[in-house]
Amino acid sequence: MTATAAGTLWYAYAVVGPVDAEVRAALGGEFELVGSGEAAVVAGPVDEADYGTDVLAERLNDREWVEQAVQAHERVVQRLLPVAAVVPLRFGSIHRDREGVAAFLHSRRDDFVATLARVRGRVELGVKVWLEPQEEQRPPAAATSGREYLERQRAARERHAAAGAELDDRLRRIHERLLAASDEGVLNRPQARELTGDPRRMVMNAAYLVADDDAFVAEVERLRRDEPSLVLEVTGPWAPYNFADAPER
Amino acid sequence: MSTVEAPSLREQVTLIDLVDRVLNKGVVLTGDLTLAVADVDLVYVGLRVLLASVATLEPGPEGAPAT
Repeated sequence: MTATAAGTLWYAYAVVGPVDAEVRAALGGEFELVGSGEAAVVAGPVDEADYGTDVLAERLNDREWVEQAVQAHERVVQRLLPVAAVVPLRFGSIHRDREGVAAFLHSRRDDFVATLARVRGRVELGVKVWLEPQEEQRPPAAATSGREYLERQRAARERHAAAGAELDDRLRRIHERLLAASDEGVLNRPQARELTGDPRRMVMNAAYLVADDDAFVAEVERLRRDEPSLVLEVTGPWAPYNFADAPER
Repeated sequence: MSTVEAPSLREQVTLIDLVDRVLNKGVVLTGDLTLAVADVDLVYVGLRVLLASVATLEPGPEGAPAT
């Protein structure tokens, strides 16, 4: 499949390495390996009618299409995860032809080999921390005078600020303990309620690069006991999406 | 090192977790025909509306073809 059929583009899913029989078996006949040895790009054909630059933006507004496309991307990455080190590429990494994929790999090969070594034998685990609704501030009761109202507002603001600072402290300690149980960690912006559809408020949304997932999950269990008013949720194992870019040099 | 496989963890994946990673993370490549990252970010803003009621996705069977 070196020739590219008309109306077909090359979608690059991930970089893997080293390439061996297991990797080839995991991919089956559906996907191509561009490159060999320590690092290769896993790519496959997609329809230009969906992924051409002029239509992709439109497609991304179609929720069902996005669901399927994102899941298709993730399925390829998940196939590779048990058999090789994987550096996932961002959605929509598209090339005109095989030569385009090869040129891209060539330009970044050293970075990829280094990143593959950094993530080898590790997975990404997500940790979300939720605050139960009863933990949040209740609005003050109705005031009988304007002065009382303002006074209550001020007291509520002070309580709110103190509670916020205390919560930040607890979350910082949680993050520190999880960093100690992992290689690296990143704090992402908590997901908004409109996105999660959850009555609870997400107060922490982190990802960790983990070599020993049993030890990491055990530390999460200890944190759950130490912080009974917070809800800790672990997701994954993911490919190292949050750790795919080489550290700044 | 312990097992990389932890299937019990991967019982349910929310669409927003998936979108957050696949659309927002991962290596950005530049190629002859690469969707500009800025475009995705802009579109992602629009997606926030689309994803307002977020479904929990059941993972497909292991190794299911990506169709």
